[in-house]
Amino acid sequence: MSLDVASNRVHGAGAQAWRRALNNAVRCVLALLGVAILIQAFIVVQARPQDLVTGIHGMADLIRRAMPPDFSQLPSTFWPTVQTVDIALFGTLVGIVIALPLALLAAANITPSRFAYYAARGIIGFTRAVPDLVWALLFVTAVGLGPFPGGLALGVHSVGMLGRLFAETMEQMDMAPIHALELTGARRIQVFSHGIIPSILPSLLGITLYRLDENIRSSLVLGFVGAGGIGFQLLTAMNLFQYQEVSLLLIIIFVIVLGAERISAGLRERLS
Amino acid sequence: MLRLRGLSLRYPNGKLALSDFDLTIAAGEFVVVLGGNGSGKTTLLRCITRTVKPSAGEIRLGEVDLCALEGEKLRRARLALAMIWQHPSLVRRRSVLTNVATGALGRNFTLRTALGGLPGAELDAARSYLAEVGLANLAEQRAGTLSGGQAQRVAIARALAQRPKVLLADEPVASLDPEAAEDIMRLLQRLARAERIAVICVLHQVELAYAYADRVIGIKDGRMVFDLPRGQISREAVHQLYLPEAA
Repeated sequence: MSLDVASNRVHGAGAQAWRRALNNAVRCVLALLGVAILIQAFIVVQARPQDLVTGIHGMADLIRRAMPPDFSQLPSTFWPTVQTVDIALFGTLVGIVIALPLALLAAANITPSRFAYYAARGIIGFTRAVPDLVWALLFVTAVGLGPFPGGLALGVHSVGMLGRLFAETMEQMDMAPIHALELTGARRIQVFSHGIIPSILPSLLGITLYRLDENIRSSLVLGFVGAGGIGFQLLTAMNLFQYQEVSLLLIIIFVIVLGAERISAGLRERLS
Repeated sequence: MLRLRGLSLRYPNGKLALSDFDLTIAAGEFVVVLGGNGSGKTTLLRCITRTVKPSAGEIRLGEVDLCALEGEKLRRARLALAMIWQHPSLVRRRSVLTNVATGALGRNFTLRTALGGLPGAELDAARSYLAEVGLANLAEQRAGTLSGGQAQRVAIARALAQRPKVLLADEPVASLDPEAAEDIMRLLQRLARAERIAVICVLHQVELAYAYADRVIGIKDGRMVFDLPRGQISREAVHQLYLPEAA
């Protein structure tokens, strides 16, 4: 009897040791696989650290030529700066106008029909999947160069994020006051304006401010594809080898981005 | 004021949630409905508001049969029916007065109210309803800052702003402390009498039913078991409501 128990215990211990060994082996293979994936990334991007070392002279030369920043150009940067910020403002506004009705259709608890739900989700997903640069190229083709296509591109691309987050906010909303309003005999639009909007407005504003901050950064890049603003000026200065102007523009961009981030964060803080 | 006849509800899965319910309630009457969990109390209220469509029977509110109406006609007829719940269901970020005034949206459909504005002509009335529930001094406060008892009073004031003939209350005191619960029950009783509103109140607290109801109705398994004036209810009959079905 006692022998039986002992042999059982030995048997159990053996199985456990086996399992542990197997676990270790699996872990080893996974770790090796991870390392292999990282190594192939280095090979695919053709990483050559030695080029970085030999190229350091060129970079130093570039930086030397960019110093000091040409502050005499400051007045000429004023207009493009305003344009850059305005492209972002316009884009965000367009984004809200398109995203809000789409979000109503794309919120599972509010949507009038399954079809509208999937259609709205599809549109929102599509606007997000296509990068803002690609939207900008499309709109430049459609309406020509300038800030307008940039604003449109940001607007459409913003729908992807705004629409999804608006819809999620609506889905997480407390529905009890909404049902209560419906039962008082209020019409659909009244339920929307008196029940839904007041409940979620602060969240929507927070999301919008966050998007505005992001749009200001995107707006800088959009200038590179001819959508106006300070990005376009940066591209021009680089093509003309005006490196002192480039450094000035980089400083301005830094100030804009940091400023937008601080202001957006500050306002969102006050909202909550 | 409200007359149910042969009201039945059968769910698609075949379960009979409400069977052949007859009930007449006069204006100014305060009726309490008792019953165990799943007995059909809440289903009864949901049928009366037509949140779910009864499979048979009629719901006569004054002269009209709610069961025969759909869409806009139903919405209009239903204006005379107000409801409160266990949770006050207020829009927490808006003021108390605004919440009360939204009770009047149903008969004030203008561009202004469609865009989130309040019906100006109703604000004085809204203040008087607030005064009626004893909260005139909190009109400008945010609804989210109220205590449970206060919020439930505001919900009642919102129901009053609807100028209902019938007030349905689904466990209105279930999440309140005993004192606040008594307050709300007293208020409902007073409103029934003073405003001539027919009140149907679903409750779990048997003692409150004894204390405030004009009539008590017992439901079990979707059927009415008794319908008696307060004085004639036997504790035994009420006790039977909460017993599991004998095998």
